[in-house]
This record gives sequence, C-alpha cells and structure tokens, in this order.
Amino acid sequence: MGGRGRGRGNAVSFNIEQLGFGRGEAGPVSVTQPPPLFPSLENRPLPLIKDVENEYILVTQKDLSTRMRNSPFYLKKSEKINSPSYEKELPVLWNRMPAELRETLPKRIATGNSKVTLNAKKKKVEDPDKIFAKLEKKERNESEVEEDGDGKEDEDDQDKSDDEKVENEDDVKEDLDDEMDDDTDYANNYFENGEAYLEDEEGQDDGEAQF
Amino acid sequence: MSSFTLGHFSQVCSQLLNHYYGEIVGQVGSYLLRRGNRMLNDIPTATGLSIREVKKALAVMIQHNLVKFQASERNNNVAEYTMIHHNVYCLIRYPKYLYMIKRIYGTSEEILLEILLNLGQASASNVIFHSANRLNEANVLSPSALHQSFQRLAQDNFIIRCPKLAENATLLKVPTLEIEEKEKFAVPNVEIEPIARMLKEKATQLGGHCDSEIIWRVNHERFDIELRNVILVNAAARRVDTTAGELYHLILKLWRESSNPDSPVTTPVSYNVIKDAVRKNDSSPILLEHFDHYLRVLYEDSAGLIDRAGDAGGGQFNLDYSKVFENLACASLDSIVLERFGSKALRLFRLTRIQKFMEQDQMQNVAMIPAKEAKMFTYKLLEHNFLQIKELKKGTSNFAPVKSFILYHVELPQVVRTTLEASYKGLFNAMVRQMHDLTENQRLLEKHAMLESMLERLKGDGVPDEEIAELSDTMPPAEKSLVEKIHLMSDNLTLGQTQADETILILESYLKFKSKEL
Repeated sequence: MGGRGRGRGNAVSFNIEQLGFGRGEAGPVSVTQPPPLFPSLENRPLPLIKDVENEYILVTQKDLSTRMRNSPFYLKKSEKINSPSYEKELPVLWNRMPAELRETLPKRIATGNSKVTLNAKKKKVEDPDKIFAKLEKKERNESEVEEDGDGKEDEDDQDKSDDEKVENEDDVKEDLDDEMDDDTDYANNYFENGEAYLEDEEGQDDGEAQF
Repeated sequence: MSSFTLGHFSQVCSQLLNHYYGEIVGQVGSYLLRRGNRMLNDIPTATGLSIREVKKALAVMIQHNLVKFQASERNNNVAEYTMIHHNVYCLIRYPKYLYMIKRIYGTSEEILLEILLNLGQASASNVIFHSANRLNEANVLSPSALHQSFQRLAQDNFIIRCPKLAENATLLKVPTLEIEEKEKFAVPNVEIEPIARMLKEKATQLGGHCDSEIIWRVNHERFDIELRNVILVNAAARRVDTTAGELYHLILKLWRESSNPDSPVTTPVSYNVIKDAVRKNDSSPILLEHFDHYLRVLYEDSAGLIDRAGDAGGGQFNLDYSKVFENLACASLDSIVLERFGSKALRLFRLTRIQKFMEQDQMQNVAMIPAKEAKMFTYKLLEHNFLQIKELKKGTSNFAPVKSFILYHVELPQVVRTTLEASYKGLFNAMVRQMHDLTENQRLLEKHAMLESMLERLKGDGVPDEEIAELSDTMPPAEKSLVEKIHLMSDNLTLGQTQADETILILESYLKFKSKEL
C-alpha cells in the first residue's frame, strides 16, 4: 500500500482526504478476529408493550400450550406409539387421508358386519405371567429329566413364552377391535393358529412396515 | 436433525411444531420443510423414526391443515406430502386470533374458535358439542345459541369449509378432495336435539351425526386480513386520534365488502356511502360532527391511509395496499435504525431513502452532521446492510486515474428482506431460550404448580390459615423467588415473540403487495 498520495507520480485513484482522516492521524483499527458471538448491546432496547391485548395473549398462550400438550395429538416417543392400536386413540378423520397412513387396510366393499367372524375365532386370554410361570415349571421339570440339549430347549421355551405374551397382549387388544369395521381376513388368520404361529411371525412383521 | 441447514423461517416453524405437537411431529415437519414434497417411504430412513411414528405424525399434521397431499404422478396409490409453510407459522398467532374474535363477537364465538383450533378439522356439530361441554352450561347456553354463533363466524368467513371427498374417492388409495366456491361458507343444517341429548347424558364424544361429512377449519387468510386491518386502524389512531381510528375502521369494512380480497388496490367508495355508514353505525358524536374534517385529514396525510381517487359522488376514496404498507415498512425500518444506531444514523438513513442516490459529501451536508461522524454512521449502516453502494465510473482521459462516484442508496426490498430474516432469527432465539428455561427448571416448576393447586384445594375446603401457611413454607422462599423469576422471564419472552411477529407481519405484507403490483 505504498505511494499513498506521496507526492508526484504513483497517483492512486482515491484522495487521502476522502477517507476522512489526515495523514498524521492513525488509521482505523484493523480487525484481527471474527466478531464476538454475543456482541455487547450499545443501546438498550425499548421496553415491551404491556397492554390489555398482551395480557390476554400471555394468559391464552399458556392455556393453549397446556391444552395442546395434553391433547391426543401431541405425539410423545413411547412404546405405545408403535403399537397398531394407537390409531384408535388418535381422533383424526381417517377417511380423508391417504390409505397408506392407516394401519389396517380399509375394506374396499362396504359390507354389513365383519364382526361376526371375529368372535368365533377368539382365543382365550390368559394372563402372560401365568403362562410364563407354567413354562418355567415345565422347564425345570424338563431340566431334571434331561441334561443334554437343555440350553436349546430353554431358549425355545423362552421364546415361545415371550411370543405368547405378545400374542396375548394382542389378543386383549383384539377385544377392543370388535367395534372396528375394517378388519381383514389376513389379521384373523394370524390370531387363529398357535402352533403355526412361529412360522408366521416373521411374515407378520413385514406385512406392516415396508422398507 | 441438524437445524443449521434450515433457513430462519423454517427453524421457527420447526420449533413451533416441536412445542405444540411433540418432537416426533417436529422431526417429520423439519424434514418436509427442508425437502419439499416427499413420499411416505422416504421419511423414516431420513429421520430415523419408525414407519408407524411417521404415519401418525403425518396424520396429525394433515388433520391440523399443516400438510397437504396429492397422488404421486408415478404411482396413483402413493401420496406425496408437502408442508403448508404459512399455516405452520400461523401457529404462533393463535392467541391473537382468539383475542380478535373475543373483541369482535364474544365469549361463545371465542370458545368455538378455540375448539376448532384444537381439533384442526371438525364438523359443525362436533365443534358445537365440545364448546357446550367446555362452557359447561348445557342448560343455560343451549346448543342452538352456539349454532347461531357458528353461523356468524361462517358468515364473516373466519371459518371455512374443507374440500369434501370426491365421489369416487373411497375407491382411491389417495382420496381427491374438491370444493366449489359457493359452498365454502355455507353452514349445513345441524340437528340440535341429538347434541342437546348427548350433553345431558354427559357424553365425552358425539356419536354419528347428520353433518359429519361437512368439515370446517380456521380460515387463516381471513385472519391475516383482519390482523392487517388492525395494524392500519392503529396507524390511523396514532397518526390522528382515536376517532379517526374509528372512522378508518368503518371505511375498511366498506372496502372489504366491495373489493376483491386479492387485488392490491381496493375499489373506490364514495363520500356519500361513507357518510351513510357513519350515520347508521353507532359512532361517537364527535365523529358525526367532524366527519368531514377527519376524512380530509386522513386522505391528505402522507401515510397513504386513504387515497382520493376521483370526484364522483362527493369524492371517491380507495386504498392502495402497496403504498400504505411501503410506508409502514419504512416506518418500521426507521425505528429499528433509530434504536440500534441513534438519531444521527436515522437522519442519514431517511435522507438517503427519500433522495434515492446520494454521495457521501452531500449526505453529511444536507443532514448537518460533522464529517467524521457522518462517515462512521454511513459505514455502520453499510455494514449492517441498511445502505447499499452504487459505483459510477467517470473516466475522462486515459492518463489520469479513473475517478468514480460512490453513491449510496436504500434498496428497499433488499433491506426489508434482511430485516425480516433478522426478525425470524430473533423470534427463534426467544423461543429457544424460553424452551430451554422451562425444561431446565421443569421439576421445580412442576413442584411449585402442584403446591399451588394443593393450597387452593385446601383453601376451598376451608382448612385453617396456619396449616396453609405451614404447607406453603415447605417450599423455601429462595425457590419461590426463582419460580417467580422464571415465570417473569417466560412472559417477557412471549411478549417479545408477539411483538416480533407484528413486525414480521408488516414486512411480509410489504413484500407480498410489492410482488403483486409488478
């Protein structure tokens, strides 16, 4: 930056006076680091307006926030949200939405009552704990008899009891499903069979979520 | 979900979704805000949520008019989802909507609107049923009175009918929705007796009802118009006085009745019509007496609140939205510059804005500010993008160095857009800070709330005062003062957000009408 208006020759395009300071004075301070993240406020901002309207808005805002947080539309991350029956708890107008958002497929042809078939195939709902206890006892008995292949059988039994627990929970929900018009034969098949259950299980999971 | 990829407006929207509908909806919403329209299967992989959660989130947002869908072109059975940005932003204005309705009509309409805001989309009977429940006076306030209130809201277009399912929609996987212009505000016949019966039985849900297919929602556009009118009336009241505000309110109503809502200029209204309206309306005697003077003051005022468009019928008056909002936006910018940089900077800013292009020397001379200060302020304004530079070269000969003129000007749309972004950022900061304060001290606040409710209950039961004092001492005064401080801070932040929203409305309206006139 030489030749700052220093006499003849090497004239530059700006006049030193135009910058606002004479030759003797120091130049502006050069910037050596980025501006601070929270720069200090030079002027204090004006106070907030507090009139009737804003008082009302304060109260209503709090009220509205609480109400919306407690409404069924507020989705929290919990196990419940991943269960198929959560759909019933959500007071949404399902018939105005794309079919893919529904858990179960809506029936194409609106027939009378599909409830009739459901009841016939209802399974007896047992307390999952009781089943667990029963199976544990069975395990213990079996382990007394046989020592070989214990681990494998134990695992199988454990799996079975867990699955039965899940199955029975779903059965309990099945009771509430009675009112639902849209139920498919696909679901009925799933609940009906106990022994073929383990084979069907993988198919059931994939049936819901497509990745 | 990294939010630094979202612009400030989208950040505000995603914060609102988080606050009102939970973090699952917030995540899905942020993704859609960023990416435009997407199909269902794209969302779980991008957000890390399960498909069930995503489905529920989408359903909630569609229900509340925040997301719209249409059948994808490639595959008719799948839908593409898009966020409706404006409606998400309007979540912040819900308390203002309620205040306006309460002021214009009354409590029953306010409750109807609140219920409709909570439900998103609902049929008339449902809204009436829930409102009656909320008012809890099923005997005193009969459903038919609420039905009339509902009709009033529909007549003034504050609520609007949602498009209904097309005839073959039930067969399609993605339903098509349509509505005709004349049906938009038509209230169907509502059967009052079943509602009254359900109320008597203290049912929590209204069962099937005759108008369950006719769904209503809040009409955001109408509320925007109303908010703008409030700003204009306040401007008139501040500029002249409150009676002028009254007069202006009446004239606005006349314009709204006769004009197309989308046009940037209202249809002219004649002097005689205004005079009739003033007389018919229950105006203050001052207005009746000095009506002439007030009208004259308003249309001669430079703010452009009323424009004289002709002389027929005693004078034709109309309103040019772009002009009046330009003036309002400039006034907002002026006050921002004033508060941030001081009155000298404001003088420079206004001067440059009015004179269009100015040189540095000219500026400091006309503004009568000493040279060094003028240069400092000019630089500051330039740095913060309130002023823009235009360089004009004035080359005369090839030997002498090229001299150039440096002209300063204010490019209004650009400055407004910068300020708008800054407002969104401020709004976002206030919301984040408020959320942070409340969640950090959540336990303390909950404890305090429980204590308060317990004390009230005991007071209601008639427990002696000493016991109440004892119980209230279980919470040490230090904690109580902390709770007070938190509440105060939270209130201030809410007020700050409301005021920021007003500025945003003015600036957004200016940009909107500016783009319309081109």
